[in-house]
Amino acid sequence: MIDPMTVLAILAMAGVTYLTRIGGYVVLRNRTLSPRAMAVMEAAPGCVLISVIAPDFVSKNPADLAALAITVLAATRLSMLPTVVVGVASAGALRWLMG
Amino acid sequence: MSISEIALAGEQTGNGRGAEFRRGLAASTPVLLGIIPYALVLGAQASQKGLGVVEVPLMTGLNFAGGSEFAAIQLWTSPPHILLIAAITFLVNSRHFLMGAALAPFIRHLPKRQVFPALFLMCDESWAVGLADAQRRAASGLRPAFSLPFYLGAGLPFYLAWVAFTTCGAALGPVLGDVETYGFAMAFPAVFLVLLRGMWKGFAAARPWLVSLVVAALVYLVVPGAWYVAAGALSGLVAAWFLAGER
Repeated sequence: MIDPMTVLAILAMAGVTYLTRIGGYVVLRNRTLSPRAMAVMEAAPGCVLISVIAPDFVSKNPADLAALAITVLAATRLSMLPTVVVGVASAGALRWLMG
Repeated sequence: MSISEIALAGEQTGNGRGAEFRRGLAASTPVLLGIIPYALVLGAQASQKGLGVVEVPLMTGLNFAGGSEFAAIQLWTSPPHILLIAAITFLVNSRHFLMGAALAPFIRHLPKRQVFPALFLMCDESWAVGLADAQRRAASGLRPAFSLPFYLGAGLPFYLAWVAFTTCGAALGPVLGDVETYGFAMAFPAVFLVLLRGMWKGFAAARPWLVSLVVAALVYLVVPGAWYVAAGALSGLVAAWFLAGER
């Protein structure tokens, strides 16, 4: 049995996303955006992603903070799956070591 | 024109379309392999939040935008906060506006009944591959520059792979999750940091992200609930607005 609220949330996501897909074609095709508006739109996805994980940067657990530092370093060098493995393994190991 | 000539012409267009579709498939295959790990990780993370092999393909099949799905899953509660999830989805996917606007001059000649379904398949990868091809064809004088079968050939495999492998991830998630409950929380920041690395365009362009990070962290410490996401995102956008005025 699927939860109706889950279905609603998914439909809301789908509707909003499709609007963003056709919006540029429908609304912006005959306009030029100001450089400022362009800068804001280009920064938007990164601003959201970093905000979502911001709590991890102020964690009260030193082991988690150390693991996050290792994960940041891994993310600058490695691809997706190795970074996740390094992040999860370092968090698991440091929590166990630093208790 | 005789009937045989019409048939021949029709056949040539048919073959042309098939060849264009296959050219699109070939162009997208190397990038396709890169998204499989993302899809598996997303499915596994969704299963940690109680979404299973029915909900996950429903989301990834209807929404089909990975960044917003990672963000939504991270914020997922039971029951989900629908307005928050819709707003975050909008912000993460707002880049589609720019992508669609960039594509618009190349698809203006196509009928709307083809454009609107085709835009559903517009993701970072299919857009990049499709636009690069259109620009290349335009430069070499080929008309029309935008090849719809090529774009579909590049986009459809992404769609099918994304839905299929996120579902696999959801099926595998419960098995993996139980083993590493402890460190598993670090998988979220790891995914997001890799996504951010992919968007990195130098330190100057990343200054709004820093504003977002600091504001979101402070709001998280002071205000209960998930407001820190909206506060961090909006302050980053305001910073981007003011920083753009410097140039």
